[in-house]
Amino acid sequence: MIGRDAALRTARRGGVVTVLALLGLAAIYVRALVFTPVERFQGPAQKIFYIHAPAAWAALVAFAITGILSLLYLFLKDRKLDLVAASSAEVGVAFGMVMLTTGPIWGKPIWGTWWTWDARLTSTLFIFLLFVGYLALRNAVTDPGTRAAYSAVIGIMALVLVPFIHVTVYWFRTLHPQPVLVKPSSPSLPGVMLVTLLLSIVVFTVLYVGFTMQRYALAVLRELKAEEVARAVS
Amino acid sequence: MQFPDNAGYMVAAYLVTAVIVLAYATSLFLRLRKHR
Amino acid sequence: MSASTFVRASLAVAAKDLAIEWKTKTAFVSSMVFAVLVLAVLYFARDPTSVATIDVAPGALWVTFTFAAMVGLNRAFLLERENRAMDGLLLTPAPPTAIFVGKVLGNLVFVGVVELASVPLFILFYDLPIGAQLPELLLVMVMATVAFVAVGTLLSAMVVRTRFSEMMLPVLLLPFLVPPVVGAVQLTARILLDRPLSELAGWLKLLAAFDLVFLTLSILLFEATLEE
Repeated sequence: MIGRDAALRTARRGGVVTVLALLGLAAIYVRALVFTPVERFQGPAQKIFYIHAPAAWAALVAFAITGILSLLYLFLKDRKLDLVAASSAEVGVAFGMVMLTTGPIWGKPIWGTWWTWDARLTSTLFIFLLFVGYLALRNAVTDPGTRAAYSAVIGIMALVLVPFIHVTVYWFRTLHPQPVLVKPSSPSLPGVMLVTLLLSIVVFTVLYVGFTMQRYALAVLRELKAEEVARAVS
Repeated sequence: MQFPDNAGYMVAAYLVTAVIVLAYATSLFLRLRKHR
Repeated sequence: MSASTFVRASLAVAAKDLAIEWKTKTAFVSSMVFAVLVLAVLYFARDPTSVATIDVAPGALWVTFTFAAMVGLNRAFLLERENRAMDGLLLTPAPPTAIFVGKVLGNLVFVGVVELASVPLFILFYDLPIGAQLPELLLVMVMATVAFVAVGTLLSAMVVRTRFSEMMLPVLLLPFLVPPVVGAVQLTARILLDRPLSELAGWLKLLAAFDLVFLTLSILLFEATLEE
């Protein structure tokens, strides 16, 4: 477990990274809204893509890291791994909320429907629910050792579950063809739009890093505080 | 050039995102401040 | 630790749980009442001129079975919370994994009994053309039930020591139910419509893979939940 000074340093540095990323996000907003051309057939609503896709990307990175670190914790038993995994999960849920709100807002004008039970959307919805559950479980367990063990178990199970959910929903989808949808912009975006998207992905990734650093520092500080209290009481 | 009239959705999405991101950032800064 | 000791320990745990349930039968009764309720509600909740009972039946069947599983799972480790019975169990020479397998077996029997009791009700009230397809239906029932009982038993072992355990279990379990329940409903629908085996093969393989992976994983991970 790192000490209080190290934690405060991480908090400060994380704060700097976050602020820089937030400024970057503001710049992305300007670039996407003002300097990126409007897509001819989909209209302004297409620009939601520059926010939705990077948020989804960041959420999935967050969840993958949680899963992997959970696995490592089970073997290495290093409490730091547990705290980073948990921090990543919380940040992932925040990005997940962006993803799940911007998704339908984008879907309605582009696809004509708020939601379709297609493989990708449904998989990400259930992964999101898994991590909400993960955080709820952590909240409900008081002993840090037990909490770390339980989190690792859920993290690993979640990691293994993801491909099953994807296959399930994909098969369901292909067997029950949905009404023909207007295809949203495919990855072959013209230059300016592609650059906007890539820049946005970079910004969201940096934002993930900043948030996770801060959240990790907070987790460490809370643990140290709890230990202090326990010592004072005993 | 005539585009579909859906800018409202775009504004809504960008707004919601800003709210969520800023709310989370604020919550982190405030929670950390309690531990200074 | 010999295999036969392991097996005997597991069976002992399962037998103990089932004996306790047999005395009061409350979990069994509430599961059966729910089955009748689901039957009735879904029967009346559709437009009889456009929705045939055979279309509603697979979903209704699996909602009932899933609920029965939840009721059984909640019970399973709740028993051990009383008087810290879990510690007593762990002090016995039985390996923790045997205790887990015993719990899974006990839950399987409980949910299995509810499922077997529900099927005649469904056939009766929904006028389902079951006959030659019964073995296939039973196979699907076994495979899907193993899936959610394995994961559910592991989760309930963790959740029972938390506050709000009754709420936490469904919340955590739900995503894990998606592949087995969707697969089971798809298979049940096809079985009721007497579709050829080739149409069932894919989903059966998915269920089998899920069972294998998650049964193994749950057994391996159980010891990790005992860290104190």
